[in-house]
Amino acid sequence: MGSLTISNVTKTFGSTEVLKGINIDIADGEFLILVGPSGCGKSTLMNTIAGLEDVSSGQLLLANEDVTDRSPKDRDIAMVFQSYALYPTMNVARNISFGLEMRGVPKAERDRKVEEVSTLLQINHLLDRKPSQLSGGQRQRVAMGRALARSPRVYLFDEPLSNLDAKLRVEMRTEIKKLHKRLGTTIVYVTHDQIEAMTLADRIAVMKDGLVQQLGTPNEIYDDPANQFVAGFMGSPPMNFVPCEVAEDGSIAIRNRGAVVSLKVPQSDHLKGQDVRKVILGLRPEMITEPKPERSGEWIVNMTMDFDVTEPMGADTIAIGEWNDVEVLARLSPEAGLSAGENTSVQVDLSKACLFDPKSGERVR
Amino acid sequence: MAIGRIGIYALLLAFAAVYLMPLYVMVMTSLKDIEEIRQGNLLSLPESPTFYAWVKAWGSACTGSECEGLAPFFFNSIRIVVPAVLISTLIGALNGYVLAKWKFRGSELLFGALLFGCFIPFQVILLPMARLLATLGLANTVTGLVLVHVIYGIAFTTLFFRNFYVSVPNELVKAAQLDGANFFQIFRHIFLPISVPIFTVTIIWQFTQIWNDFLFGVVYSGPGTQPITVALNNLVNTSVGGKEYNVDMAAALIAALPTLVVYVLAGKYFVRGLTAGAVKG
Repeated sequence: MGSLTISNVTKTFGSTEVLKGINIDIADGEFLILVGPSGCGKSTLMNTIAGLEDVSSGQLLLANEDVTDRSPKDRDIAMVFQSYALYPTMNVARNISFGLEMRGVPKAERDRKVEEVSTLLQINHLLDRKPSQLSGGQRQRVAMGRALARSPRVYLFDEPLSNLDAKLRVEMRTEIKKLHKRLGTTIVYVTHDQIEAMTLADRIAVMKDGLVQQLGTPNEIYDDPANQFVAGFMGSPPMNFVPCEVAEDGSIAIRNRGAVVSLKVPQSDHLKGQDVRKVILGLRPEMITEPKPERSGEWIVNMTMDFDVTEPMGADTIAIGEWNDVEVLARLSPEAGLSAGENTSVQVDLSKACLFDPKSGERVR
Repeated sequence: MAIGRIGIYALLLAFAAVYLMPLYVMVMTSLKDIEEIRQGNLLSLPESPTFYAWVKAWGSACTGSECEGLAPFFFNSIRIVVPAVLISTLIGALNGYVLAKWKFRGSELLFGALLFGCFIPFQVILLPMARLLATLGLANTVTGLVLVHVIYGIAFTTLFFRNFYVSVPNELVKAAQLDGANFFQIFRHIFLPISVPIFTVTIIWQFTQIWNDFLFGVVYSGPGTQPITVALNNLVNTSVGGKEYNVDMAAALIAALPTLVVYVLAGKYFVRGLTAGAVKG
């Protein structure tokens, strides 16, 4: 019912190319998240899906029908805006039913639908209020109610939670996920918050400069990033990037506490024969931990590090050291973090180490 | 502190008195008979107040060769002002809506050109407009005067509405589009209901401008279609025997009354409307 195919979509404003050929297949009922830094084109892509902007070239298929040239109202898509965009002079009930009213749905059915949606979102008691009399979280619910009332084939969410405070954001995040489970309708969701992306998505499309850098499940994006940009964008604290020399045998060299340590990484055998001299080692902070004796294997290395700074975060402690004159973050347990300082024993897990080309930023595999 | 307060209020009262003095003199003079006026005491209260001057100014004073008072001209003005205000305000609202929310190639240029219309002096268009009205067969008609005032007013009304609508978030239009509303439905259901303050401002502005207009009124009207401003001028310049200052003053007050009433009734909204854009609602 609600599959969405975006094929070769480009969009230019004057001489600036905002979208440079986007290809995404979204399955029916899928929760797809578009992430990227500001200016990457994710909101423009959203607007072209909604029909609020025309595409410069390319095609949009909704349930295998070509909707590229259809006006927004004929696409059967509903959108939740970052600013909520509630109609200021209408009360909550009319805000929710306005879309139905414009489509000529009879009054009785509209009332039934308002009742149903407001019960689902627990806003029954607010139906007579104007948007100005609502709190941020309530407005958010009404905005979602407005989208739900029409039962469209696709929901678009444009950074819906970024105007809420931290606590409410987490609550609404869970609520949106529940809602999606319950309704099973296709959702395309734009955010710049990578935690939202990881927690909500079936698949994530990471965008930069008008191109999709990688499209995959949250785990694929996190563990197997396509390039240095994706690796650095997803994850908090971010992945460590250490420029390294490659030795003849394919191992990589890092300078730690004044001594050079040679590390064998999964890619070493492959690198051996090749003329690659410099790479960037990408290693997530949680891959550098306190020694865990139960763990062993080919890619587990024990060493000592000097930590200048430790940042307790509660569940774990971030300790900051240095390899090859570059800051390296380690994620230690709180107990180990207490004693972290000079000459601390750590364990490095290189099994998920990524190597990147220093020039292009692409993966070296 | 207290002394400063007293000083401020004294100064304010003094200024208010200076500004209200002419109105006071007009009202007092209009209530006196001509004998009392001749004694030359401008500021004194009337000894025996009489509405003779008001009755005469309204019903029987001479404006040139006719002696029917201001009454017929008062209704001429109403017949010109009401349609001219309503039409120019509605067109301005639509123009402003398009220029603020439905931008097209060249819309900014068009807005600039429209703005230019605010600065064209009346005198410049007198002759071409006279030709145009003659060509359209509207010379000396109420319809012709309405047309002139509508055209002249569009620049101002468009400016008011455009600047008001620019502050309305674009997402509202997008949301309504996705909800299936078309161009006019969005205007009718979303924009009109939030436009009360700017409608008030525009209507007061247009009403005052058009009611007080003399130049267009004197140039484009015929014998039966003169507005009250022209009649007032004629009334003051026509003297049978001596000059009747009390009738002149009463006539001037009658001519000014509608704008005064509008300000008193809607002045609060006028100020509110002027500052509406400054506060997020």
